[in-house]
Amino acid sequence: MNVPDPQSRPALAPRVRLRADPVTGEPVLLYPEGILILNPTAHEIVTRCDGEITVDGLIRLLYDEYEESEETLRHDVLETLADLKQRNLIVLAP
Amino acid sequence: MNERPYALLAELTYRCPLHCPYCSNPVRYPEGRELSTEDWRRVFSEAAALGVLHLGLSGGEPLARQDLAELVGAARRAGLYTNLITSGLGLTAPRARDLRQAGLDSVQISFQADDPALANAIAGTKAHDLKLEAVRALREAGLPLSLNVVLHRANIERLEQIIALAEKLGADRLELANVQYYGWGKLNQAQLLPTRHQVETALATALAAKERLAGRMELIYVLPDYYEERPKPCMQGWGRRYLTVNPVGQVLPCPNAAGIPGLVFDSVRERSLAAIWQESESFNRFRGTEWMSLPCRECPQKEIDFGGCRCQAALLTGNPGATDPVCMLSPDRKIIDQLLDQVGNESAMTWKPRNNPLDTF
Repeated sequence: MNVPDPQSRPALAPRVRLRADPVTGEPVLLYPEGILILNPTAHEIVTRCDGEITVDGLIRLLYDEYEESEETLRHDVLETLADLKQRNLIVLAP
Repeated sequence: MNERPYALLAELTYRCPLHCPYCSNPVRYPEGRELSTEDWRRVFSEAAALGVLHLGLSGGEPLARQDLAELVGAARRAGLYTNLITSGLGLTAPRARDLRQAGLDSVQISFQADDPALANAIAGTKAHDLKLEAVRALREAGLPLSLNVVLHRANIERLEQIIALAEKLGADRLELANVQYYGWGKLNQAQLLPTRHQVETALATALAAKERLAGRMELIYVLPDYYEERPKPCMQGWGRRYLTVNPVGQVLPCPNAAGIPGLVFDSVRERSLAAIWQESESFNRFRGTEWMSLPCRECPQKEIDFGGCRCQAALLTGNPGATDPVCMLSPDRKIIDQLLDQVGNESAMTWKPRNNPLDTF
């Protein structure tokens, strides 16, 4: 799995939509012929992927908000973004 | 209580400018008028209330409906993710803009081949250049491009070039689906079914491209199930995840279900989608595992492949409740093997092109 560049700016891919499943209340990513249910960590990350903030910025932002070690957060963010990229659900702008 | 449906396929019309010999529309179109804008609006909000998240707008050619942007808007307001499944013919720049403004999430354009002459021969009309124009219109409107190519004996050997075309056009998704043998596909099977060698070569090509393009272009390769040993988990189970509403308003558990003799389909003109999903005879007929006979009934795979495809069982064995004959455990597997033995005896491209339903518009 390719680790995302810390200076790249993640955003949802153009055809991907985030919404709450009205039946279960869970956050889901919708894309052609697919549904991905997001866990709470992935949801926190995805809602902040606006194409402006960098991967490093995202980690700092979450560090300020949550009582987690920076190491744990960095690991979670990089792993989640790499997985979403692999599935073509996000783009990483330079 | 049954599970909720996740996806609705809305076949808006049977009208289409193309004549592809593997069209998934029925060979005999059901009688009746096309649903109105108002009917579809109601269907979309009823679907969303049932839990549907995904809407496929298909046909025929959905762009033949002049109210398409209006329908997309209605679907978006209901919260549905909207995917337009089109030949691209009729997708002008202004229309692409209107669709984008209405909230269309994704567009999937079909291509018949990479080579214009071959592509036009398959489509039965000069469609290829118009498709390239549609791709440009899509780009200008800022809509993401997804390509779909149906593979069969006449184009499967050009898979490398087909993938290269998708790359050149900047698609971020390419679906390569082998022909499914129902309706027109079954009628033209002798001309369309690829050889084992073709299938194996194509699979290797597709897997290599998938790896090479990972993270840039999503590549989906749908195997031809005749060459498999176990059946596909058709529709993820009958009446379990999917609904199809056809142009005249009939609700089907699968787009090909009209090929099953004796099955009667309720119409959205007469009942609510919820009542049809929960109570209709056609949806309950093959739900769960109770209907299964041997070998499915005692098979550890029965909740994984759901006995395969009911339409295929009906088409090949005459019994829609039989094990899908693709399964190596099916007593009818020999039917598939005989069909595979005959591959190559018919010369390709002498098929019967899909015609248009003159009486529905």
